[in-house]
Amino acid sequence: MDRVLACARVRVLMEPYVDGELEPAIAAAVRVHLAGCEECRRQHDQAMSLPFRMKALASPPPRETLVAGVMRAVAPTREVAARAWTLLAPEAVLLAFILWYLSGLDGLSSIASGVFDDLQGLAGGTLPAPPQVDVLLLLALIALTAIAGYHLSILIRIAPPGLHNRRHA
Amino acid sequence: MTLRRYSWAILIGLLAVAGIVLAVADIAADRRWPNPMAQVMVGPGPYAKVPPTQTLRFDRTRVGDKLVFEAPLIGFGPLNPYQAVRAFLTNGAGLVLLALAGLILFPRRARNAVERLEASPGPAIALGAGLLLVLLTLGAVTLLRFTLLFLAVVPLVLAVVLVAALFGVGCISLAIGRQLHDRFHLPEAHPLIAALAGALVVFDLAVIPYAGVIALGAIAMAGLGLTVVTRFGSSNGWSFVDLDW
Repeated sequence: MDRVLACARVRVLMEPYVDGELEPAIAAAVRVHLAGCEECRRQHDQAMSLPFRMKALASPPPRETLVAGVMRAVAPTREVAARAWTLLAPEAVLLAFILWYLSGLDGLSSIASGVFDDLQGLAGGTLPAPPQVDVLLLLALIALTAIAGYHLSILIRIAPPGLHNRRHA
Repeated sequence: MTLRRYSWAILIGLLAVAGIVLAVADIAADRRWPNPMAQVMVGPGPYAKVPPTQTLRFDRTRVGDKLVFEAPLIGFGPLNPYQAVRAFLTNGAGLVLLALAGLILFPRRARNAVERLEASPGPAIALGAGLLLVLLTLGAVTLLRFTLLFLAVVPLVLAVVLVAALFGVGCISLAIGRQLHDRFHLPEAHPLIAALAGALVVFDLAVIPYAGVIALGAIAMAGLGLTVVTRFGSSNGWSFVDLDW
């Protein structure tokens, strides 16, 4: 049975029509009306456009656990945090070895004072003689520097984000 | 109500007095333990046997000679409030000015850094990173010494470390000031006032006899670590996305 619908009624039915939610008979009546009414057809075309469809979509409410879940997902894993502690062992061993190799803090301070003596010499225009390279000491220093650098990168990774970053997360 | 209005001024005054009193004790404990904030940069006190005939360049009145008192405890140096005031007006004022300068020059970066310090476990991460950076600096400086070419880079490395530590100490001062504001329910004040109070707390901690040098070292290391972890308070932090194209 064909039904004649008024424009106002068609405008109300436009949304469910576009969504395909109308009964077939009513949908057919809307279709007939659209065929004969230019203004309603224009509204129909607009309703069919993607931005309009997106705007018409009702966003589902987020789960209550969403924020906690996201924060848990982006939090550093226990494994990474454990590695931050584990690396203290090789660093302590290397530091102890270097201190022992240099005969304790006196040796370390002599290296430090040597650096400043060399710099003073350099500032005075005299090129200092480079100290004799000890391969074992160099290896230990390079290893300590590399492990400390890696350890630092882990700490940077597990550091808490700022509010600015959290707002954008 | 009126007292509450002046609570920041009272707090700052109390912190300054506490700093001077602690500096007196720290100077009296001289030669037993290093006390950098109370002694090193100020120079020796009047009890260092300067001949009375010698004209001093910056202390012509020699009023300090009259303000030296015997220590009540055996084995300690004399109590020297004049030297303590000198320490406060030089090292203390220097620390406060440098801390405030960092905050004035880089306010947004300081805010980012303080936000990350205030989040848990920000202080522990900053201190750990600072300890690692001391190790890294030691290793790097020693390695640079073994080359003639890079020896000249050492002052640059040390200068960067110093600037980073100072910026970090400024941020820690601001964080301490914000904590004081929250804990004591102080009225709203300019952030630099809070940072000033925080910097005075840092100075007071640094002149605690015996423990001061450890406290100062820990704060400086945490400041250095905070600056590096937050990449000088950058809002993006450390990211290598730009290198990956």
